[in-house]
Amino acid sequence: MASSAALREAQRELENKANDLSKLQKDIAKNHQVRKKYTIQLGENELVLKELDLLREGANIYKLIGPVLVKQDLAEANANVRKRIEYISAELKRLDATLQDLEEKQNSKKEAILKSQQKIQSLQAGKGKA
Amino acid sequence: MDGMGKGTVTPLASLFPVEESQKAAKRVQDTIAEKEKELDHLRVFIADNNNLINLVQKLPEELHHDIMVPFGKAAFFPGRLIHTNEFLVLLGEGYYADRTSKQTIEVLRRRGKSLESQVNSLEAIIKDHKAEASFFIATASEAAGGLVEIREDYVEENPSKQDLKSGPLKQDVSGLAGAERETTSVDDKEFARMMARLDELEEEERAAERGNLDDENEGAISDFDEISYQRPSDNNLQNSEDIQRRMALKQTNDIATKFPKEHKYQDDMADHFGSLALQSQVRELSEGKTMAKNLKNSDASEMSTIYPEEKIVHATNTSKAEVQYQASRPSDDSQKQASTSSTVGHADHTQRNSRKEDSTSSQVGCQTSEPSFDSRRAFTGSIIEHAENLPKTSGEQNSSSSLVSGSQPSKPVSRFKMQRR
Repeated sequence: MASSAALREAQRELENKANDLSKLQKDIAKNHQVRKKYTIQLGENELVLKELDLLREGANIYKLIGPVLVKQDLAEANANVRKRIEYISAELKRLDATLQDLEEKQNSKKEAILKSQQKIQSLQAGKGKA
Repeated sequence: MDGMGKGTVTPLASLFPVEESQKAAKRVQDTIAEKEKELDHLRVFIADNNNLINLVQKLPEELHHDIMVPFGKAAFFPGRLIHTNEFLVLLGEGYYADRTSKQTIEVLRRRGKSLESQVNSLEAIIKDHKAEASFFIATASEAAGGLVEIREDYVEENPSKQDLKSGPLKQDVSGLAGAERETTSVDDKEFARMMARLDELEEEERAAERGNLDDENEGAISDFDEISYQRPSDNNLQNSEDIQRRMALKQTNDIATKFPKEHKYQDDMADHFGSLALQSQVRELSEGKTMAKNLKNSDASEMSTIYPEEKIVHATNTSKAEVQYQASRPSDDSQKQASTSSTVGHADHTQRNSRKEDSTSSQVGCQTSEPSFDSRRAFTGSIIEHAENLPKTSGEQNSSSSLVSGSQPSKPVSRFKMQRR
């Protein structure tokens, strides 16, 4: 019957939308995790910067690059750490924007799903009557 | 007292289904468990840090230490630890620095401090979660026990709405009256007691007010400001009005002075309320007095259990935010108010208020009699119906529109009541 075909189609539509929604939610979760990681790194870098500031001029600083400890200059190390902090902050901002985006999409998807559900319900009610 | 009300009886279970509350409680408890694990983790770190500090302190005591040096996975060989004052400290992110023992200890101490601050914040979070969980559990048990929420229209002299708990859930329920336990009978008695007391105090107040009205205004204010300011900081006043009110308070002290000097309210709340009430009154109405009066009246009327809530109620008229203020604040709103006991709902305040209920009620009693307020004393009691006083003191009363309207008559009934209709 036409109505049952329409019903089936509406249900398939609902399934698709549900899948999209779950994908979106996974993306949002991943985004959260990456954000957390970056936030922790940012915190660590700020600590390092504080310690570096407390160091006297001429103190030896080493950087661990793989299995090698390389001697570094205080000024150089300062500059590097600052650059990293900037980079991480920029990344965080970018992630925030993406997160906003994803959340909006998620909301709209939810509404769409709701509508499809209502459609299905009305179809079923119609079928029942007929 | 249910007789006159037309009301609705809603089983609590329908509002907060049992299973759902239990599920919610369980979810919150899971989060609590997670956070506690993290907390343990951090505590281990802190312990390690302290051990390290001790070790670093001991090392420089000798020029060299004889030790067993680990060699590979399962072997050691005897060796010597030299340069005992030089440490290569990991600063983070792959950076190392040469430091002496003392400097290393400083670094470690700083790290320890940041760890501790993390622990503290985590503990605060856990506490919040626990409060939430306990609320859910309580709701679940209540719902299972067949508690019923009874909502009735406000009828004179018989406050039927009683808020027991206003938790976050309540917000869904139009944010108003919470479940009503079967304490109405008790409330009635209490209410009657309150009313009697109020009446007495009112008499005293009227007498006193005649004399006090004009004099006192100014003095109390300064104190008030302090009090009020303290409070607001606690509460997130959404309204900047409050702040303004406070300022305004300075200007118009009538109310402030009226407030219970005599009364011995120790509650901050009470004070707070009073001050807030005053302030807001002052500002909003620009009459000050009327507000106080209103509040007083309203409070008076509601007394008993509702008492504490009333304050909120006045305030709540509008919203929770008001409540945060703890009721006095709403006085602005209270103007519009009469809000209805229903507003009392807000959880935090209600709970707190109920705590203070007893004290406040007594205070209220005093308050009513005493129009002059002590800047320190919160209005709490101001329910006193200064209907007659109003014309005298403020003269502005009318403006408050809602407040004053109809309440002018000097009936002992709080103005609040009148408005509520």
